[in-house]
Amino acid sequence: MLRENKLSINSYLVKQLPVATAFLNLKLEVVHASDKWIKLLSFDHSVFGKTIYDIFNPVSEEWETELKKCIKAQPSVSIIQRETVNKKNEKWYNWTNIPWYDDDENIIGVITTVEDVTENVLTELRLEKTEFLLKEKSEIAKIGSWELNLLNDEVKWCEMTRAIHEVADDYEPTLESGINFYKEGHSRNTISMIIYEAVQNGEPWCEKLQIITGKGNEKWVIAAGKPIYKNGKLISLVGTFQDIHEQVVTNAKTKESEQLLKTLIDHIPVHVYLKDLDSRKILINKAAYEFLGASSAEEVIGQSDFDHYPKESAELNRKDDLTVLTTLKPILNKQILDPKRTGSDTTFLTSKIPLIDDDGVAYGLVGLSLDITNLKRKEEELRNLIDVTSLQNKKLINFAHIVSHNLRSHTANFSMLLDFLSNENDEAEKLNIISMLTNASNNLLDTLDNLNDVVAISSNSLKSEKVNFTKTLEKVKQNLSAVLLKNKATIVNNVKKNVDINAVPAYADNIITNFITNAVKYKFPTRDPIITINSEKVDDYTVISIEDNGVGLDLDKYGDKLFGMYKTFHNHKNAKGIGLYIVKNQVESMNGKITVESEVGTGSTFKIYFNGKN
Amino acid sequence: MEKINSICIIDDDPITVFGIKRMLKTSIDCDEINTYGNGQLAINGIKGMIENNAPLPQVIFLDINMPIMDGWQFLEEFIKLPIQDRVRINVVTSSIDETDYNNWVHYKDSSHHQITYNNKPIKKADIMSITKLAS
Repeated sequence: MLRENKLSINSYLVKQLPVATAFLNLKLEVVHASDKWIKLLSFDHSVFGKTIYDIFNPVSEEWETELKKCIKAQPSVSIIQRETVNKKNEKWYNWTNIPWYDDDENIIGVITTVEDVTENVLTELRLEKTEFLLKEKSEIAKIGSWELNLLNDEVKWCEMTRAIHEVADDYEPTLESGINFYKEGHSRNTISMIIYEAVQNGEPWCEKLQIITGKGNEKWVIAAGKPIYKNGKLISLVGTFQDIHEQVVTNAKTKESEQLLKTLIDHIPVHVYLKDLDSRKILINKAAYEFLGASSAEEVIGQSDFDHYPKESAELNRKDDLTVLTTLKPILNKQILDPKRTGSDTTFLTSKIPLIDDDGVAYGLVGLSLDITNLKRKEEELRNLIDVTSLQNKKLINFAHIVSHNLRSHTANFSMLLDFLSNENDEAEKLNIISMLTNASNNLLDTLDNLNDVVAISSNSLKSEKVNFTKTLEKVKQNLSAVLLKNKATIVNNVKKNVDINAVPAYADNIITNFITNAVKYKFPTRDPIITINSEKVDDYTVISIEDNGVGLDLDKYGDKLFGMYKTFHNHKNAKGIGLYIVKNQVESMNGKITVESEVGTGSTFKIYFNGKN
Repeated sequence: MEKINSICIIDDDPITVFGIKRMLKTSIDCDEINTYGNGQLAINGIKGMIENNAPLPQVIFLDINMPIMDGWQFLEEFIKLPIQDRVRINVVTSSIDETDYNNWVHYKDSSHHQITYNNKPIKKADIMSITKLAS
């Protein structure tokens, strides 16, 4: 009775145990069981007295082995078993068994407990996974971690941190040795300050610094970290450690090449620009934006030629752009005239090359323009110089021919006359020949004088100056007054009193004298000469026109010889053919020109262009 | 002595005209020598001869540099005249301009007249050899 009572008391106590527990006798029958045990394993109260073989179907071998170990007083271990209710809902149980002793220390059975450890197992799995991922990540990104335990000053480095430092796997760092890896100077000072700040003020950090590894290599790293508090007390510093050396080096190289390219583009005297499909600038170098009058590239980025050039030339440029963008063929070394809005034209040697993406479609173009304005100007100057030189050369040859011809004709006459003289016996004829010789000699002197005049014009570089036209004309009229009066000539001067011509004064006198004398000399037989003088401004020239009502001249016949030396066209006893030749030379030496209009029987108009530039 | 019916001298230089005339007088038998001071006067004179059926010059001495109408302009007009006979034209010049020489080559080859090119001064021996009927 007492035993039975004791048993029921025990049973009652076991029933209330907060742990799922069952007492099995040596036959492995359930003697006692906590409610929790019954509930956890989904049994009911009919389990008492039944063997585990009756209620578990089947009994796991592992558990049975462990139970039997307990009965034999052998050490037993906990086992964790999975039970799958359905796929989504799996359960993990931890089975623990110990021997059941009676008061006399005899084994009378096994006390077995079971615990639902599903939560724990899953957490453990998750942790394992997280650790695995972290390790992978740290290896790929070369990020290591470390921890400084401030309670015992112990420093822990992960595998990667050691790898970054290039130290052995069993390397044991200390706070001091860790800091000493940082490169002396900025890096080491910075990390020391940071750790001090973190400890003192709890500041987190993230810095790009340099270390010298265990193998003596220099490396760029990002050291980041933060202090960890427990119950308001600082207990440790944890952080990451990332090897960014390759990135830094690559970045530095990229930056260097970029800088080199930028320096190059900005300093070559060629305009370089990129345009998008709408011909808007997306890049422009210094030479190009300065040409456009901007002080920075930003001012003109996004603008097109329509913002900088007159419409017509912008349209021409746009047409070229479109040709390049649609045909995908570059335009190379095309001469383009860009009239700036300020007025001065610029000539460019321009190349436009399409920018083509991976799909073979143009997304813009790169333009290169070389300012060849100065080159063109030089070319122009050179061409002018060649023109002037060849003209001078022609004049010189012409002059040499004239000289030679005139001297030769005189010497020929001397030679002939002297030959006659030496063979002549008749005294009267001798005198006749001598008088002809004298004549020929005088003619030769005249010819030499004329040639002298011409040479003087070509070789003297007399300075042009402002000469008042009307005053000069009055002076000429004064000198010619006898001739003008005798021929009843009238001069109508329509030139305003303030008109100046740019000329050598002596030449101006001679030029005006010549044209007026000619107008009188070649007057129409039945008309009194009327000479009308006008002036006008044509470009850089002051043009004086001298119109007469004389006999006129057939320009088709004589036009090209009018200003030639010793060319006369009228059967006039005073025509010597030197006046106009000298006039022409004088005008040309002052960079001017003469034109003539004439009609036989009506009169002639000579226009003298005095160049205002000289 | 060579017998020529009519000779014509076209030159604006009286000394040259005097010289040629004087040399002709002693070496050529010629009754009629006409002189003209320039090409225009000569063309006018020859045209007059054609109109009056007068005997035309068989030999012409032609200067190049003359006022109003020069030697080449005269030749241009002369070769257009309806003259069947081959006339001898002796160009006499002191010019050393290549253009003049080229002009002579041009007219010589484009006309049926006999045209020669002579440099001044003309010697008496030259006069005799070029004052002949055109061959």
